[in-house]
Amino acid sequence: MITLTSVTKLYNEGRPNEVQALKGIDLTIARDAITVLKGPSGSGKTTLLSIVACMARPTTGRVTLDGEVVSGLPERFLTELRRTTFGFVFQRFNLIRGLSVIENVMLPAAPLGGDHAKVRERALERLAALDLADKAQMPVEFLSGGETQRAAIARALINDAPIVIADEPTANLDTDLTMRFLEIVRALRAEGKTVIMTSHDPRIWDAEGVDAVVEMRDGAIFGEFA
Amino acid sequence: MIFQTPIMALLLVAGLASLTALWSGGFAVQVLRRWNLADMSRAQLQRERATELVSTLFAAVMLAELAALLLFVFNADRMASLFVGAMCAVGTLNVNGYGFPALYLKIGVFFAATLWLMLDRADRMGRDYPLTKVKYGVMLAIVPLVLADAGTELAYFLNMHTDVITSCCSKLFTPANAGLANEMASIGPGMSLWLLGFAGLAVAVSGAVVLWSGRGALAYAFLSALMFALALTAVVSVIAPYIYEYPNHHCPFCILKPEYNYYGYALYIPLFLGTGLGVGAGMLSLFRNRESLADKLPAMIRRQVIWSMAGFAGFGLATLYAIASSNLIIFG
Amino acid sequence: MTPWLRRQRALADYTLASLARRKGKNIALVAVYAIVVFVLASAMFFAASLRFETSAVLRDAPEVTVQKITMGRQDLIEGSVAEEIGKIRGVTSAKPRLWGYYYDRIVGANYTVMVPDDPEMIPEPGSVIVGEGIPRARGFKWSGAPLFLSRYEGDLKRFDVARAFESDSALMTSDLMLMNEADFRDFFEIPAGLYTDVVATVRNPNEVATIVEKGSNALPQMRFVTRSDIERTYQKLFDWREGLLAALAAAGILAFVIFAAEKASGLSAEEMREIGILKAVGWDTRDVIAMKLWEGGLVSLGAFLLGTVTAFAHVFFFGAPLFAPILKGWAVIYPDFALAPHVDGLELLTLALLTIVPYIAATLVPIWRVASGDPDAVMR
Repeated sequence: MITLTSVTKLYNEGRPNEVQALKGIDLTIARDAITVLKGPSGSGKTTLLSIVACMARPTTGRVTLDGEVVSGLPERFLTELRRTTFGFVFQRFNLIRGLSVIENVMLPAAPLGGDHAKVRERALERLAALDLADKAQMPVEFLSGGETQRAAIARALINDAPIVIADEPTANLDTDLTMRFLEIVRALRAEGKTVIMTSHDPRIWDAEGVDAVVEMRDGAIFGEFA
Repeated sequence: MIFQTPIMALLLVAGLASLTALWSGGFAVQVLRRWNLADMSRAQLQRERATELVSTLFAAVMLAELAALLLFVFNADRMASLFVGAMCAVGTLNVNGYGFPALYLKIGVFFAATLWLMLDRADRMGRDYPLTKVKYGVMLAIVPLVLADAGTELAYFLNMHTDVITSCCSKLFTPANAGLANEMASIGPGMSLWLLGFAGLAVAVSGAVVLWSGRGALAYAFLSALMFALALTAVVSVIAPYIYEYPNHHCPFCILKPEYNYYGYALYIPLFLGTGLGVGAGMLSLFRNRESLADKLPAMIRRQVIWSMAGFAGFGLATLYAIASSNLIIFG
Repeated sequence: MTPWLRRQRALADYTLASLARRKGKNIALVAVYAIVVFVLASAMFFAASLRFETSAVLRDAPEVTVQKITMGRQDLIEGSVAEEIGKIRGVTSAKPRLWGYYYDRIVGANYTVMVPDDPEMIPEPGSVIVGEGIPRARGFKWSGAPLFLSRYEGDLKRFDVARAFESDSALMTSDLMLMNEADFRDFFEIPAGLYTDVVATVRNPNEVATIVEKGSNALPQMRFVTRSDIERTYQKLFDWREGLLAALAAAGILAFVIFAAEKASGLSAEEMREIGILKAVGWDTRDVIAMKLWEGGLVSLGAFLLGTVTAFAHVFFFGAPLFAPILKGWAVIYPDFALAPHVDGLELLTLALLTIVPYIAATLVPIWRVASGDPDAVMR
């Protein structure tokens, strides 16, 4: 369970362009569920996602992850926690151009110092499960949109993180690919993963299998639906 | 002043180390005043990130100082031909009053940086950065040491005059020249080896106690320091003569020369390693009760004690080999 | 392998891939870096080799040279001085020498003219034995060509070249010309019984100081120069020239450091994005710093090896054409000889400190700045 208590987030603190991205959020996100944060751009859902995923520290407030307080942790330990707990799929996928698919997939494992051959094996398994086995050695810039996303998903899963985070995963996808993505998400859910997504795409919040939808506006929670 | 490339390299390292120390000192003051992990502001986050820079810089300074220490001794040895009366590094270091202080300060800086890095490592193991304030307090003590090292070194090189008649190592370690060097040389070789043997045994027992019970690291650190002093004495009084195969040549520097197969490095490197790690283990044991370190620090102390004992064992083996393979017979 | 090693390996792997992706930029960096190393290394190797050569030559030189000083200038010395010095206890032998310089106006070069001590080297009357530099300077096309020397306007003296020295006899013999005593006295108009200086050999080198002291007391108008004095002077001379070149190279290092710092802080948008991605997928500031240090280490290593090896070839295989004029001396005739390859740990360590330390120092802060970006930056 992830809980947020009175979480606020300021950007550009103390400067004239200070922005309050989150205004006193109280929220509980269940494990073993698919949760979608919805809302228009600028509503603070990406900021909230980055705080939930231990990517950024809140300016005030308290965040706990499975009972442990994480909001006060130094950045280094936050990173340690994050790379074993969360896997990320970004809106623009953020694969590194010039590297092959498999090299990209293996990137999050590098700082952990795992056995190279085993990490590689794991990466190949993930790619095979996502129908990318034959593209493993290909530089990522030659992949199609859907393949790029699946490569990004494989990367998010390389450290066997129990929670998968996806930021606007379907923003650049057509309906077929969106359906394919939702299938993958449901498969992950079946594997026992927790999935948290942001989206302003109705195809996502209305999708089958989504357990909770949190609507945000102007840095505050507007409504929660189950 | 003698215009030489190695001197320029040494002054470069000293200068950069001083800059690093000054900046880190300023940062240390800021940390001591403002460090507060409960504060989730951007400023605290930036301080946390700056500690990464300080750690990296200090690791770089330690490596550069280690290389500079080697170069300093190496170069002093080579410059001996420039001074009347000098035969090896001792003569060059004696050219003026700053030579030996500069060497001692260099060794001091190296040890201080090493100990600081151990503290840094331990600090990073705890989720609340339990030693940060201690670490930066210690940093403030190291800064003057680094500056003194650079200043002394500069004074040493600027005041080098080739017309000075200096004394060579054979004169330093004779009764005619009263002082610590002579005292060290005049301890009987048998006595010196016995002392070294006992210290080695004490280190081994104390190390075993630490490994077995997890206690007594402080005693181990103390014994390591004692071992260091006795080992240096033994080098001067008995080990070096064995290597030179000449009972009255006591110089602790000539053994670093190629003529003696660089044997000195086989003695000094493990000795410095053993001492640094041993003293570091004792220092770390002072913080073993910090809550966030309780599960990780004992393992680090153990590892350091193991490596420290390995270092001393290496020194012991090098000593035994030097004696066994020498044609000189002192006893018997 | 421990996790620590595996992590380092993974970081190094990434670094290698990243370097390969920006080949052009990195090759340019390594090339500039290698040039700096090359210049410094050439100067150092050359000077060290000259020092080595000098001490090798001086090893066989007599321990003490005695000169007569009149009005503060060196004057011709009486042969009897040699006998007096020979009587000092500890001196194995003392011999007067005849030698001097001859300025060859035809080619504008200076030769060292000597009467050899070794009977086998004494040429026939009317002929000379010369160092390889002299026929070269004169442009002799065939062996056996006579050598005409002119001391002043209208004067011309003919010598036959008996033979020339081999060129491996090193630095000091290139401009040497050997004559027999009668020819020498005639050529330079030196009266019988007078010599250039006296050299003495000493049995025990530790006694040199005592002998010099005794000799100075007995012969106060003579100046005693010891071999170690000469060696020291040469050492200082070569050190000074090496230092001068290194100081010049320092300007190059500084320029390079600014260039490197610029490069490290002004990363392209693509590179910034990559580091942002790495941080977002779970790399810590430390991991990025370590990766960047691998990059700096590999670049340094490559440039260091490249610069050192080319400098080695430049100095020892090609005779340092770029630096020889500055380092060897002022004489017009440069010896044409291969320097004995001689490189030691001291030089390599100095070289590494002088080139790698400034590079790391210049790039560390920019690296840290890049590495300490916000992990969520790519999401915004």
